[in-house]
Amino acid sequence: MSQTILVVDDSPTVVKFVSFSLKNRGFNVLTACDGMDAIEKMSNTEDDIDLVITDLNMPNLDGYGLIETIRQNEKYSSMPIIILSSEQAEEDREKGKKAGATSYLIKPFKSDKLLSEVKKFL
Amino acid sequence: MPGTNTLQSNIQKEIVELSTAIGGLVNSFKRLQNPLEESRNKVPQATDQLDKINEQTEAAAHQMLDMIEQITAREEEILEQIDQTRACLESGDNDKILSCLRIIAEKAQTNLNDSFLIMDALQFQDITSQQMNHAASLLEDIEHKLHTIIGVFDSNDGDSEDEKESNARTAKAGKVRAFDPHADLFEKKTNQNDIDSLFDNNGK
Repeated sequence: MSQTILVVDDSPTVVKFVSFSLKNRGFNVLTACDGMDAIEKMSNTEDDIDLVITDLNMPNLDGYGLIETIRQNEKYSSMPIIILSSEQAEEDREKGKKAGATSYLIKPFKSDKLLSEVKKFL
Repeated sequence: MPGTNTLQSNIQKEIVELSTAIGGLVNSFKRLQNPLEESRNKVPQATDQLDKINEQTEAAAHQMLDMIEQITAREEEILEQIDQTRACLESGDNDKILSCLRIIAEKAQTNLNDSFLIMDALQFQDITSQQMNHAASLLEDIEHKLHTIIGVFDSNDGDSEDEKESNARTAKAGKVRAFDPHADLFEKKTNQNDIDSLFDNNGK
């Protein structure tokens, strides 16, 4: 059975691009447009989510809030979470790490780099 | 003389009123200074962002067009190889057929890789949309400051209808806009390897 990845970004272009790259490599992909939507999808899906890829700047609930919420759930306390963000400042990386992210990729990124990062954890 | 006293008293009253009015004007100009200063700084920032969008959109489009041109050229070579394969099938030259198939497979793989590179380049849409949101928020700030300036001269108490409308529009836009003001397609201030080592050192 293929592994399931949740892609969270308010940019439909990024969601489509990341989803295509992952589906092309055989992953099952779920998508969400912001942190709140992601939490809702995680609660409602019957699939076990193996990895989350999330943006930081999003309306309603941003990436930091989403990561913190996921980490509070025992089921997902050690699940890999990759941040995809154009934020490059050191404090953003530190904040992401502190919130519980496993990895951080700067936008724009190469699809090869994203896939190698995913394969590191799955 | 009683007439002179009245005149003096009236002049004195006028001078006091004039002085109060001048004091009010000075205060009004002081209140104008900050919004004017902030607006003056934000206009070039918004212009810079819009110039950057134009520049980066153009560069990304060129990058994609170059790749499409290469893909198209390879497709033509693939079609040529297919014609040669057909001819070899009739003559029964198996070595040549195998060579043609190898070339076709290589070119198809390169085209597939280039398709992913085009998708990588399409991320310009996400980056430029963040830059546009930043420019829009700067312009909204300027609009807000201009309303503040108008408000200084407005004798009515409370917000004018225009200002209320502007505030409502800014608040509405602010709720849906989430962007990184430093988003850039080409300029990476941080090396990805440095970030990787930061996260690797933290343990998984």
